[in-house]
Amino acid sequence: MLKNIDPQKISLKEWSRQFRLLDDSEIRRFKYYNNDEWGIYLSPPATFMVYGARELRKLKLDNSLAALRLWGFALNESERLFRARQSGKHIIATMGDLGTVPVIAMAFPDCIPFYPDCTWWTPFFNESTVLLDKASELGTPEASCFVRSTLAAFHKMAYFPKPDILFASTGASCDDYSCIMQMVEDMGFELNWLEIPFRRKKQDHFTDEKYARTPQGLDYPERFETYLINEYKHVWQRMQDLTNDGDPEKLGESIKKNNRLRRLVDQIKALTHGAKIAPFPALEMMVIEFGNLYGYADIDEWIDILEMVKSKIIDRVKSGNGVLDSDAIPLAWITPTADPLLLNIVEDLGGRVVATEYVINQALSEIEEDIDPFRALARSFMNASLIGSTEERIRHISAGVDSGRIAGVIITNMLGCSHCAMETRAIEKRLKNVPILAIDIPAPLGITEQIRTRIAAFIEMLK
Amino acid sequence: MTDILTPRERFGLLVIDEKPDRCNTIPLITSHAASVRGMKLRDYYTNGENMARAQIAAIEKYGHDAISIFSEVGIIAEAMGTEFDYPENDLPIQRIPALEKKDINDIEIPVPTSDARLPVYLEAIEYAYDALGDRVPILAYIPAPFTTGMMLSEPNRFLIQTIKEPDHVKAVMEKSLAAAIELCYHAIDAGGLPIIVDPLASSSVISPRAYRQYALPYERKLVDFLHRYDLDVILHICGDTTPILDLLKETHADLISIDRVDLTDTIKKLSSTVRVIGNYDTSLLAFSSPEEIASGVRDMVKLSMQAPKGYIAATGCEVPIHAPFDNVMAFINAAKENGWYWD
Repeated sequence: MLKNIDPQKISLKEWSRQFRLLDDSEIRRFKYYNNDEWGIYLSPPATFMVYGARELRKLKLDNSLAALRLWGFALNESERLFRARQSGKHIIATMGDLGTVPVIAMAFPDCIPFYPDCTWWTPFFNESTVLLDKASELGTPEASCFVRSTLAAFHKMAYFPKPDILFASTGASCDDYSCIMQMVEDMGFELNWLEIPFRRKKQDHFTDEKYARTPQGLDYPERFETYLINEYKHVWQRMQDLTNDGDPEKLGESIKKNNRLRRLVDQIKALTHGAKIAPFPALEMMVIEFGNLYGYADIDEWIDILEMVKSKIIDRVKSGNGVLDSDAIPLAWITPTADPLLLNIVEDLGGRVVATEYVINQALSEIEEDIDPFRALARSFMNASLIGSTEERIRHISAGVDSGRIAGVIITNMLGCSHCAMETRAIEKRLKNVPILAIDIPAPLGITEQIRTRIAAFIEMLK
Repeated sequence: MTDILTPRERFGLLVIDEKPDRCNTIPLITSHAASVRGMKLRDYYTNGENMARAQIAAIEKYGHDAISIFSEVGIIAEAMGTEFDYPENDLPIQRIPALEKKDINDIEIPVPTSDARLPVYLEAIEYAYDALGDRVPILAYIPAPFTTGMMLSEPNRFLIQTIKEPDHVKAVMEKSLAAAIELCYHAIDAGGLPIIVDPLASSSVISPRAYRQYALPYERKLVDFLHRYDLDVILHICGDTTPILDLLKETHADLISIDRVDLTDTIKKLSSTVRVIGNYDTSLLAFSSPEEIASGVRDMVKLSMQAPKGYIAATGCEVPIHAPFDNVMAFINAAKENGWYWD
């Protein structure tokens, strides 16, 4: 079923029609935690819409079985976390570092890491202000970043189960997020804080003598490595206390598994962004990129899904088919959009995303396997997007612009995100040779005709 | 105590076997919503926007936990050819059953977007979902095949046919099932969670043998269709279902809504595997005082909170159209106050 269909993005109702063609055996083939009773997740978008994900009525999604699997799995995460808890697994909240602490958590048996901060997207998928309003009631300013929905989620405990342990990063991380985590702590949750250092290049006025370089070419004071190793060993110790387990060899295995995922995503991105015709939509690609953070709470199943996605993309590239027109304008996208609809809109108006900087560079590059695992994690984290200069953050985008591969850049700013407000100007200064459109993402249901018109005009200009 | 969760969040936890802040409170407020809105019944069941607005008005007044898009069980049969009268201040009344005019083989599967009042239902679901779907579940009541089959026929004749003409009855069941599936399919796309209602399969109407032979297999097929979507399926049967209580598990429904059945017995028999919904006597809603209702609901909720798979405080049948508002409010307040799971 669904094998001989032309690739395209389809609406929720079209997906429902297509879903009727699927055999029961196909639906029951895929399951998380390998559980037959409640692990089935291959549902059409309409199922998640019925349970409140209202924006699915507007979104157009890829029409392949691989994409259906991807969406079913990603949208099912909340239920999966509760089922994990019910089946005796430990729930590990890893917040703010975006990509490294989960690698440690996955080294422990039956430990499921997840990011409560990813509740950021929920108000938009649900087209709802429930969480944002509750966060305001709980004391966050209305002008703070949408990540405040996380506070409401902790208050309600209906979006994820109460974590067995919480790790939260602070220091050179998002400031609004750090404030929210402080409020979570004040609500009675015991947080284990990690401090993230600010990456910097060697300069005369700094006293650091020795600098090191990540395999991806970013410089940092070597002592930060030691500092982060200690932070990660603290995480390890807390995990040992929780589980009465802790085999260092398992950390190496976890790194290898996460590297497999990272390689796979790298290949998918290269295939998709490099193809003559876009073989997979930008929205699904964003979901894929963010899966690198923690494998959506079942990394084995997620890797299996991505193998299927990759295979589908290879088929499409080989046959010269895709989901967009061949003359779609190649764009870079900087900072993830909180509202998924925007990615659809840009493609509908003739754009195509061929490069991204979604503030998770640290989760995209492979972790070294031939050195001490804690050191490898520290060096991997030194690639992080938000802990260094703007120039370093967007260097891949700059390279794409210089090579002529990128015709325009879209930057999405988040309401209340002080980081966005400051850095967008800095990015614009750095990318002088390419047209840039900066969009302020409005609150749920806030995408107006004016925003559409601005995007349409931008893409028209690039044509 | 103040609610922590929205009805949507509360229902979401229940169906993944988690205890919400308090028990879901979903009295079957269907056509009663027209009274809340001060609307003539005919205006309610013939206009989707009206139906949705009445339901929204009821939610705003009472603060219960789901919207119930429903007026009466004849909607599918009507779309298949049964004729109804529409009294201004009463529910539709069956006038000429489709099978009095046509052979079952000549009856077509209705198209929900265009046939009879099915578009009214779809419009109501969509309107309610647009308005409140992020915070309140929208329940789309779907008549089960047996009930539709009976509404396609002259009822007494149909009951005799269950004994004398099993092949005919099965043909009616198959077609009614196909029609119900088609309606479910569209109701889901509109944002509704189907709730299967089979009041005419009650043991107050048919024997357990007839239930096992004709109603249950098609309830199960409908539930299984909905399970393809990974939806949590509610089955409601009015009246006395004591003789078929054990059979209800075989429908595969995830939540079972009961009426005139002993609640303790039901919890013992069903609630290790399904969530129980019920079952306050609706006649008491019409004729008791708010104090009596509060007391009765408190006892019901206290008893049912122990149900291992979870519980929804509900009425056994539809809230009477003209039930006093204070009485309905008393039910809802009592269920909320006594149904707390969280400290």
